[in-house]
Amino acid sequence: MLKNKNIIITGCLSGIGHATMENFSKNGANLWACFQKESPDVYKSIDNLTSKYNIWIEPLFFDFLDPDKIKEAVLKIRHKKQIINGLVNIAGITKDSIFHMIKMDDIKETFEINFNSQILFTQYISKLMLRQNYGSIIFTSSITAFDGNMGQLSYGASKSALISAVKTLSIELSPKGIRVNAVAPGVIDTEMTRKAKEEQINNIINKTSLKRIGLPEEVANIYMFLCSELSSYITGQIIRIDGGLN
Amino acid sequence: MTNIEKYREAFISTFNLKEIDPSELEYQSINEWDSVGHMGLMAELEDSFDIFLETDDIIDFSSFKKGIDIMKKYDVNIMV
Amino acid sequence: MELIPKLLNDKNIILTGCNRGIGEKTLEQLAKNGANVWACTRKISQEDITKYDTLENSFHIKIWPITLDLSNSESINEAIKEIRIFKIPIDGLINNAGITYNALFQMSSISMIKEVFEINLFSQILFTQFVLKLMLRNNSGSIVNISSTAGIDANLGRSIYGASKAAMICITKAIAREVGEKGIRINSIAPGITQTDMIKSMSNEIIEETRQLTQLKRLGEPIDIANVCVFLLSELSSYLTGQVIRVDGGLKI
Repeated sequence: MLKNKNIIITGCLSGIGHATMENFSKNGANLWACFQKESPDVYKSIDNLTSKYNIWIEPLFFDFLDPDKIKEAVLKIRHKKQIINGLVNIAGITKDSIFHMIKMDDIKETFEINFNSQILFTQYISKLMLRQNYGSIIFTSSITAFDGNMGQLSYGASKSALISAVKTLSIELSPKGIRVNAVAPGVIDTEMTRKAKEEQINNIINKTSLKRIGLPEEVANIYMFLCSELSSYITGQIIRIDGGLN
Repeated sequence: MTNIEKYREAFISTFNLKEIDPSELEYQSINEWDSVGHMGLMAELEDSFDIFLETDDIIDFSSFKKGIDIMKKYDVNIMV
Repeated sequence: MELIPKLLNDKNIILTGCNRGIGEKTLEQLAKNGANVWACTRKISQEDITKYDTLENSFHIKIWPITLDLSNSESINEAIKEIRIFKIPIDGLINNAGITYNALFQMSSISMIKEVFEINLFSQILFTQFVLKLMLRNNSGSIVNISSTAGIDANLGRSIYGASKAAMICITKAIAREVGEKGIRINSIAPGITQTDMIKSMSNEIIEETRQLTQLKRLGEPIDIANVCVFLLSELSSYLTGQVIRVDGGLKI
């Protein structure tokens, strides 16, 4: 479904990011895969995918807390002189803590990674997309942005900020052919989720219509849909992928 | 092409200037140099000189003349 | 030519309102993606049959024409009976047929209000109730209701049409809760302004104005909606239920 498209994915070390990398490779996309840290496992999985699916994957290693490294990554992407069909922003952190025990520094760091640096990276990449008059940009929000969640004030607020950004970016960039949307995942089976209290997670799962946890591949499929031509008239939207939780 | 020629050409092609001399131009002094035109000019200069302009410099790039100073930061010397 | 993956291979889908506009294009896309379709229309013309034959031959699938008049509850019963006889699983339903109505609130006649609600809401509820009963036997299925941005934005002259579409959205969300555990998903698509017969009465001036109101600077095409139907019926959307997806090019009226 993504044959010959060149797509940037951030947060490839995460459960959803990794599933997205695999899914996109399987569907014929070439990737710039962004990881926070280098490791032999990373190279192994990349080799596995490139040989299996006959696509290229350029790994980029940088921390979203370092604006210089972000810029370096963008220059490397630009250097390849290839069309950038899509950008999937998945990287993000959570520092769960009940309201009265939240440190200001944690709020700042959460916003720095989940919002500020995502916007900075997107600012650079969309500049390159503007020359193509074409592109699809996706942000990862969360149901917490809409519904709130115990212990997730900073996370939820930062994910909510992305929703507003999507709407404004869509107004500014869609007339130039760049679609901007966000995906708001519910409870998905990832390491981030497994760190949370089991009781809290089960409570939410019981409230879903499908009565089960979501899989990273299921979120990856929505990213794929939004990067493909199937969604070419969809922009400025936030799609909840939550097993029917609203 | 010399640097000054490349620099002038970026203005001329982005803003479709046929007879006008770009050297006195300022941001928003002509219809074509609005915010959209500005991003187009920045892209043209980046491609032409193979540089990557910082957001702060894009914001400060308020005229043809100011631009020459800014380009120096990227090791591009434009001799008028 | 590269192989396009068939997202609905061997699935059996019910589609209403197939002979023009969004329905016509959706039928094509379903066929292209490997689905067999019960093509429901008020009347079945020779032209329709020819179209169906062409799709069957091109894509090696089956299209079964069904007569369905949403203004007539007898017709709804008959259509369901016909579909039941097949004794094959129903994997999807797209409630696409519907009528439009454009009138200021103070000028909306009660007879038109009743007609709009009969066709856009009550009959579709009845039809869906029947289909859902059959889907529940297989513990799987995906339903797509074609709503409208008018149901969310409540535009000028669209109070009645919008209300009928808004009602369908509410029903979508409620049904999702009731049948999710049984493996059935249900979602709505809210098209913006799509180029079909429904907007034929719009003047060129208004069409141009509307075009400018979209962020993508174009009106929708039936294929834009058809593609999202395919996505929602397929396994790609397996964790997506109870949602309304606006397919409107970023329309802000």
